[in-house]
Amino acid sequence: MEHRNVIGIYHLSKRYDDRVILRDVNCQVANGEFLFLVGPSGAGKSTLLRMIYMAEAPTEGQVVVGRWVSSSISRRQIPYLRRKIGVVFQDFKLLEDRNVFENIAIAMRVTGANNYAIKKRVMKVLTEVGLYHKRNDLPIKLSGGEQQRVAIARAVANSPEILLADEPTGNLDPDVTNEILQLLLRINSAGTAVLMATHDHALVKNYGQRILFLRDGTIEEDRRLSVHGFSKERLDAIRMGTESAVWDKRPGGNP
Amino acid sequence: MRFHQLTYLARESVHTLGRHKGVMSLSIVIMSLSLLVLAVFLMATDNVTALLDKTIKDFRVYVYLEEGVSPATIEEYHQTLFAMNEVEAIEFVSKAEALHEFRKELGEEQNILETLEANPLPASFRVTLKSGFSDRDRIETFAARVARMSAVEEVNYGKDFIERFSFLARIFLYVDAVLGGIVILSSVFIIANTVRLTILSRRRSIEILKLVGATNFFITTPFIMEGAFQGGLASVLSLGLLAGIYVACRNILPDVQFLGTDRILLYMATCVGLGAVGSYAALRRFLKL
Repeated sequence: MEHRNVIGIYHLSKRYDDRVILRDVNCQVANGEFLFLVGPSGAGKSTLLRMIYMAEAPTEGQVVVGRWVSSSISRRQIPYLRRKIGVVFQDFKLLEDRNVFENIAIAMRVTGANNYAIKKRVMKVLTEVGLYHKRNDLPIKLSGGEQQRVAIARAVANSPEILLADEPTGNLDPDVTNEILQLLLRINSAGTAVLMATHDHALVKNYGQRILFLRDGTIEEDRRLSVHGFSKERLDAIRMGTESAVWDKRPGGNP
Repeated sequence: MRFHQLTYLARESVHTLGRHKGVMSLSIVIMSLSLLVLAVFLMATDNVTALLDKTIKDFRVYVYLEEGVSPATIEEYHQTLFAMNEVEAIEFVSKAEALHEFRKELGEEQNILETLEANPLPASFRVTLKSGFSDRDRIETFAARVARMSAVEEVNYGKDFIERFSFLARIFLYVDAVLGGIVILSSVFIIANTVRLTILSRRRSIEILKLVGATNFFITTPFIMEGAFQGGLASVLSLGLLAGIYVACRNILPDVQFLGTDRILLYMATCVGLGAVGSYAALRRFLKL
């Protein structure tokens, strides 16, 4: 895979009136990278993610995503940017009056894809997240983990280059958290860059190639283990769920 | 925008209407009450306009001829007048006919005519003008032209009446246009506020649609379709109410006419349009799209 940046963040600051949310944040995300954004509540993680999918405009600096630049993007272009970015939240954000199939299909309907293409693709992602048998259920009938899998399926329906996840496991118990992480890793190994925000340090200890520590609106540390932090065997083991990745087991030492 | 996307959005609107029956019915009732004002306004306008038209139709210019005009001259004048642009119809009233009419008008008091030696009434033409020539300035020009003809004694057309009438008609037109504008604006305002209820109840869905990259067109189209549909239903409901009021008030206002078919169709189309515009206004205002 060629190495290029899918997200570029340059001298980014965000203020609401006098309150500083982010201060001079710089970072680039390469294609196919798996990146954790770690920090306590209120550190500015969500705001940073919101600025990547351009729900907010920077006060200073700029965000570059693909061919879009925050300083010059028009409101009319934002929908097209969003189709290239999958976003997942702690509260899932599913349409409660639509079944699982429609919740995923909607991401393609907005692009004008035809019914045949939608059906084919939705069936495929449903199988990938293991919810094909629940395609006709309403979200309310699903467990939290299943709802999050629907949300992830929706996020990847348009095969985005970037998947943003804002505390995706915040409402889930440890077993399910593990499942969701496996799923994100699988999506990542298929080539999608994943940027996951979490306040849970323990989680990050077990997985991860690169970690951004965010505190009080600035990046304290950008810890790169290496772009390909895990050996293929270990990654496979992690994905199979037979082994959890722990820092101190890694060849090359302990952070 | 592709066709299948539009059909999807249309189906969406139908589903949404079905899913939110309560809110939708409430909005339709509120809309129909506000649209009823428009219907009453339209009906009042039509009735006043009809009255004005009728008055103008009954209007005649009287052209009195000099004493002893020959039948050949009368015939010639008849043709000359009829050839004029302004003239719709001409009726010739001979001296004898004028006297006969006068007698009829006098009724029991016609014995006062016994003392007359000769018929004092002149022969005349009663000229009906075409509807485009019924304003004061044009009538005046026409009258002046006719008065210059040699055998014409006098032209009479109730100058005071026509002046007052055209003044009132003009005032009515202005007031009516202003009132119409106010009624339509307030309908849009009420509809927009009603649609706001539906928008607020669907805020989450709208947020999700934006998140997955829906264009404003995709988000707003179902609302606009629903607004149009609600406007259409509300127009039927308000016409029903109007018909009820009309029947109930028949004894008090016997001369008032109900809306004609073309008016009903125009009204319904307007309501559909107002529903759509109201929805759009609400979306702009409350979603900042």
